[in-house]
Amino acid sequence: MSLPDWIVLIGFLAFVVIYGVWKTRGKNNIQDYLLASRATPWYMVTLSIMATQASAITFLSTPGQAYSDGMRFVQFYLGLPIAMIILSVTAVPIFHRLRVFTAYEYLEQRFDLKNRILGSVLFLIQRGLAAGFTILAPALILSVILGWDIRFTVCIIGGLVIVYTTTGGSDAVNKTHLLQMIIITAGMFAAFWVILRLLPPDVSFLDATHIAGKMGKLNAITFDFDWKDRYNFWSGLLGGTFLALSYFGTDQSQVQRYLSGKSIAQSRMGLLANGVVKIPMQFSILFAGAMIFVVYQFVTPPLFFNPVETQNVKNSAFAADYNNLEYKFTLLHEQKQGTIRDMLAALHNQDQGGLQTSVEQLQALSGEEKTIIKSAGELIIKANPKADGNDTNYIFLSFVIRFLPTGLVGLVLAAILSASMSSTAAELNALASTTVVDIYKRMIKKSGSDHHYLLVSRLATIFWGLYAVAFAWFANRLGTLIEAVNILGSLFYGAILGIFLIAFYFKRIGGVETFWAAIIAEILVIACFLFTDIPYLWYNVIGCLALLFIAHLVKMCRSLLLAR
Amino acid sequence: MIDQQEKKSSNDIEKPPLLSSWPKLYLVVFLNLVLLVVLFYIFTKYFS
Repeated sequence: MSLPDWIVLIGFLAFVVIYGVWKTRGKNNIQDYLLASRATPWYMVTLSIMATQASAITFLSTPGQAYSDGMRFVQFYLGLPIAMIILSVTAVPIFHRLRVFTAYEYLEQRFDLKNRILGSVLFLIQRGLAAGFTILAPALILSVILGWDIRFTVCIIGGLVIVYTTTGGSDAVNKTHLLQMIIITAGMFAAFWVILRLLPPDVSFLDATHIAGKMGKLNAITFDFDWKDRYNFWSGLLGGTFLALSYFGTDQSQVQRYLSGKSIAQSRMGLLANGVVKIPMQFSILFAGAMIFVVYQFVTPPLFFNPVETQNVKNSAFAADYNNLEYKFTLLHEQKQGTIRDMLAALHNQDQGGLQTSVEQLQALSGEEKTIIKSAGELIIKANPKADGNDTNYIFLSFVIRFLPTGLVGLVLAAILSASMSSTAAELNALASTTVVDIYKRMIKKSGSDHHYLLVSRLATIFWGLYAVAFAWFANRLGTLIEAVNILGSLFYGAILGIFLIAFYFKRIGGVETFWAAIIAEILVIACFLFTDIPYLWYNVIGCLALLFIAHLVKMCRSLLLAR
Repeated sequence: MIDQQEKKSSNDIEKPPLLSSWPKLYLVVFLNLVLLVVLFYIFTKYFS
């Protein structure tokens, strides 16, 4: 990386930290620290919600996802606007009127202490691990592509976040989220502009879109229902609604963002604006990935995008096999270029027969290409059994390093690190709030001074920050971790959502029924995970519905017993 | 006490910063979703 890139990168990151600390100096009470004085306007709530949700892995992985699997991932977000409406109607007014600091505080007011502790402990387990992963994922990718030391990268990201989150609390998180979203947007626009400029002079933007579409990368919507297909309209609408309800309604890292709103109206508006903006934003990032795919139709891409693993296999006993695959891949790619130009000519001449023939040829060539890439992945794993055979996460960053001009590389890296820091900051803030409000203040020291709780909140932020850094420091495998953290979240979210749904909508169900239903539903979800091959996104639906059903069943049984 | 607080209707909440009522705003968010799905479908079909 060149000196101007380093200057841009360090300049942006330093500015974010100094700005966060400076703008929030003098915050001396617990309400300021945990909920930004409940004075945040709606547009800042929206930006903060979006910055919390969009971690670095969103920007690193999503374009690569479109590159390899098309844009169908956008359907994952279809349930989000519906969840935003439901939460605006239900959760926001309740949380605001009760003046709670955390979502779990409400559970004690509605049910009892054990439900509050259950909710907060499930959150601390899940989000504590996720915070470590939020730091680790970009650090791992940056270390592979740029050769940075992974532990150094983890410490830089974690250290900077700990500084301003500990100093300024929730207000610092909100204020830095604004800056970070500006950097992220600027970085993504710059990358998109360069992608379009890299298209050959005789290929227009519309041509490029046609190429991506004909090669199956613009599959934004499919209405075919398949239980095992992770992304289609139905799984996105149903599974996505449940997931978004769980994440935005019961995960303190998000609840805290809209609880900092000035009023019910400002918090609601913040959520609803997120419901409008989020899908187009994800669509744009995926579309950038589809355009990267088109650029790579005219420039030969690497056979495998992870340079470290490529080097490993080339230094192993499988080097000759791998080189042979690379040779075949290059020949096939040249053949594909010719067919793409034939397809464009047929498209311009409105020659339907020629177009059909070219598309069929391209599909056959793409099938052969996939086989070669799969074989390359297998060789990579044979050479290093610990390697991740999936290179999707490396596609975008390797493109940035290879093609973006000096200065813009630094800007895009600043955007990626900003995304990582924005998510981590919100997570640390939420973990500290839950630890102090739901555990420490409720169970250990009930009558401390405001100053005391502020000090404990700061210590809790540092503790969770160091915990996240330590997790990222000692864990070293990306593929397994992504799966582990996603499964971990889905294992708990369904039950937590069920508890909150009963709290909001089923007033006749009490704490005892809810608590035991949550325990049984959780066991059921874990059994699904251990003994079935149901995709983990459905665990949210299963856990939630099972809890609702069991709670009603237990209530009915208790009523019958009491009647006797 | 909690139930009483929760039973307050949404009428006592201030008006949204945009549009004149909350139901209208919810409808806009929902129609925006429908519009996006339709546009994505046309987009998928047109370029496939």
